[in-house]
Amino acid sequence: MTHETTTLKNELSLSVHGMSCAACVSKVEKSVLAVPGVSDVKVSLAANLARVTHESTASVAGIQAAITDLGYQVEIQADDAERFDRERDLRQQEIRRQKINVLIAWPLSMVVMFGLFQPMWIFPLFVPEWMHNKWLMLVATTIIVFGPGRQFFVHSFKGLRRGVTDMNLLYATGIGAAYAIAFINTLWPEAGFGGQGATFFETAALLTAFIVLGRYLEALTRGRASDAIRRLMHLQPKMARVLQANEEVEIPAGSVAVGDIIVVRPGESIPVDGVVVYGHSVIDESMLTGESVPVEKKPGDSVTGATMNRSGMFRFRATRVGGDTALAQIVKLVEDAQASKAPIQRLADLVAGHFIAGVHILSLLVFLFWFFIGFELFSHPAGRFILSPYALAEVGVFGFALLLSITTLVISCPCAVGLATPTAMMAGFAKGTESGILFKGADAVEATTKVNAIIFDKTGTLTRGRPALTDVKLLPGWERAQILTLAAVAEKGSEHPLGQAIVEGAQAEDIHPADADSFEALTGRGVRAGWQGQEILLGTRRLMAEADINIGRLEPAAEQMEQAGKTAMFMAVDGRPAAVIAVADTLKPYAIEAVDHLQQMGIQVWMITGDNRRTAQAIARQVGIEHVLAEVLPGDKAAEVRRLQEEGLRVAMVGDGINDAPALAQADVGLAIGSGTDVAKETGDVILIREDLREVVSAIEVAHATLRKVRQNLFWSFIYNVVGIPLGMGILYPFTGLVVSPELAALAMVLSSLSVTLNTLTLRRFRTTLQRRHSRAAVTQPQPEMLAPARG
Amino acid sequence: MSTNAARKAFAIYFSLSLAAAILFLAMTFVTGQAYLPAARYGGAIWVLILSLIITMPLVIPAVKRREV
Repeated sequence: MTHETTTLKNELSLSVHGMSCAACVSKVEKSVLAVPGVSDVKVSLAANLARVTHESTASVAGIQAAITDLGYQVEIQADDAERFDRERDLRQQEIRRQKINVLIAWPLSMVVMFGLFQPMWIFPLFVPEWMHNKWLMLVATTIIVFGPGRQFFVHSFKGLRRGVTDMNLLYATGIGAAYAIAFINTLWPEAGFGGQGATFFETAALLTAFIVLGRYLEALTRGRASDAIRRLMHLQPKMARVLQANEEVEIPAGSVAVGDIIVVRPGESIPVDGVVVYGHSVIDESMLTGESVPVEKKPGDSVTGATMNRSGMFRFRATRVGGDTALAQIVKLVEDAQASKAPIQRLADLVAGHFIAGVHILSLLVFLFWFFIGFELFSHPAGRFILSPYALAEVGVFGFALLLSITTLVISCPCAVGLATPTAMMAGFAKGTESGILFKGADAVEATTKVNAIIFDKTGTLTRGRPALTDVKLLPGWERAQILTLAAVAEKGSEHPLGQAIVEGAQAEDIHPADADSFEALTGRGVRAGWQGQEILLGTRRLMAEADINIGRLEPAAEQMEQAGKTAMFMAVDGRPAAVIAVADTLKPYAIEAVDHLQQMGIQVWMITGDNRRTAQAIARQVGIEHVLAEVLPGDKAAEVRRLQEEGLRVAMVGDGINDAPALAQADVGLAIGSGTDVAKETGDVILIREDLREVVSAIEVAHATLRKVRQNLFWSFIYNVVGIPLGMGILYPFTGLVVSPELAALAMVLSSLSVTLNTLTLRRFRTTLQRRHSRAAVTQPQPEMLAPARG
Repeated sequence: MSTNAARKAFAIYFSLSLAAAILFLAMTFVTGQAYLPAARYGGAIWVLILSLIITMPLVIPAVKRREV
């Protein structure tokens, strides 16, 4: 074993506002990574979030400055619910700002457009002649370019100063060039840039108008996608009613401390997590878990913050507050997921980041080609821009080459690429949350779609994990009460469900076990305890064999128990066999249905357990699983997962306990059932809040639907570029005399962003098989069956 | 980025861009085509602008890295 010095790593969450594209993301990441002490940064355009991992020596102010120097607003994310309101306010400000830009740009663009077209076609019939005034059009265009269009120049300049480029630069270059020509042609028409017949007002005006429209739509999309988290946080009430000196006192929910007794009345939302100490009620947990049936709560039951108290009044003791509550953990999970990047998105961001330089090179080559070769070679007397009044002959070689160069800049812009994946992922996360499924990251979503084998842990996953004592078979010379007493003493120190079942079974027979004098848990085999001078061994055949104890007389009874699907545990006292004790667990509702559905999806279903093979196979038969991994020690579960992976399978592991954590980590996708331990939830890639195993199916369905949406979005975002770039470069001109104008290119880019936005919205309509069934109300619940849990 | 490094970067990318623009201008004479002055000089300015945009993101980070 080697010892390494580890450097303390901190994580900083920053809200970043003002980003507009994948290149902005790339820009921020590069800039932050250049700050000394920063080791990793993940930026989410859709969530306006940057997660920075840095050493303690890194300057937080320096990290913030690296982002503000690029022209973006940044603030450190506070750990309270109000920050979501602040972020929503910032997003709303951005939406308002872009809306104002649209409201300025579009009417003025129409003035320019109608003014330009006034002498043509039917326009003289309803457009007054004074609108065809070049000074009017110059003024209108100037307002558009330096008003709504100013943002592109400012961002470009700030980025270029630091040596980074983004899509603002494409727009600024195109708009700036078109405006400059328009300005020159208006003031000096004889300068030779096309004269009064080619002022290019509408190019500059419409380019700006289309692009700000695209920005407005993107701001709307990002605002909507981020509302999911804000809605979650607002589930938590602001105030709590705490008992202080037997009086109810209202205090802010944030001030509740662990141990406080809180009173909840009917119709109120529960402020924090806790345990009921007095009263009964029915709680609606659907807002967190998606579970539509309200849950009864009585003293001793846990309650979760942000759920709704329906009927009775009760009091509970706060056990988790602030950032430790289930709600806070869910919010953090969703935020972390939003900040994560799927491999497909990392590729898209990388492409977009490098694309800008490539686009400018292409634009330069296009200009040079048409200037020196193309204009003369492919001269077309009737050549025109599509949807533009200019005849190309009027424009001249420089104007022609320049316009095609600008068109190439604009049409090559991968504007929608930056939105394509994150918006679809965020919509997918939100869809999952509706069903109590929390994907911990975009890569978890992608990995889930590739799964072709699932391993279920048995105890606590397929079964409820609350086994009960069923049989005690004694050898001659022993009495039931005696055996149960010794067994309960031995298992009192054990946290294993089997041990708990024995203790509870003994207590049910009015036996109250004392504490053992000594206790040792033998992982995967059983326990060894000492009490009143007696040595008690309780566990598997392996344990008995290791202690050289002959259990031959107990075998027939044990086999019979195991054939019935129970777990048989052998007991020996002072080296002599004494009894065999059976416990049995209950299959979780819908386990059979979930397994059947997964198999119908073409996924291999496996069960893994430490139980003996006979019992394991009996259980597997009942639940419908063919592939069984039995007698697996806890430490070997991960190895079994690895073995399947080496056979070429993409393996998902579904588990809930501490001993599942290594297997969950080893699996391609670890699904931790929500009732399970924090360790399992920490290790899992997907958390299933509800204990309904059918949500495993739902998780896979949501992942597939999300990735399908991502691919569609990428298609829509790229197809405009793939088709548009050759057109923008003038490929049609030699054959048809038609070229794409810059404003038409800008329209195509807006349509590209619009397609992505609208396509993402369709994911809201997606429903899992389970949701469809609930809506048809046609589910029948199988009877729970007695099954044997496994030790280990 | 220090002032010296910024100046150095500026000298490099501006020289490269200017060279490209001058080359463009030279070619408008060499090809023998009768280009209007507006086309020659307008084109040179456009080549200068695009060359600046292309070279700045390459030169500035390279100079920064050398500075570190």
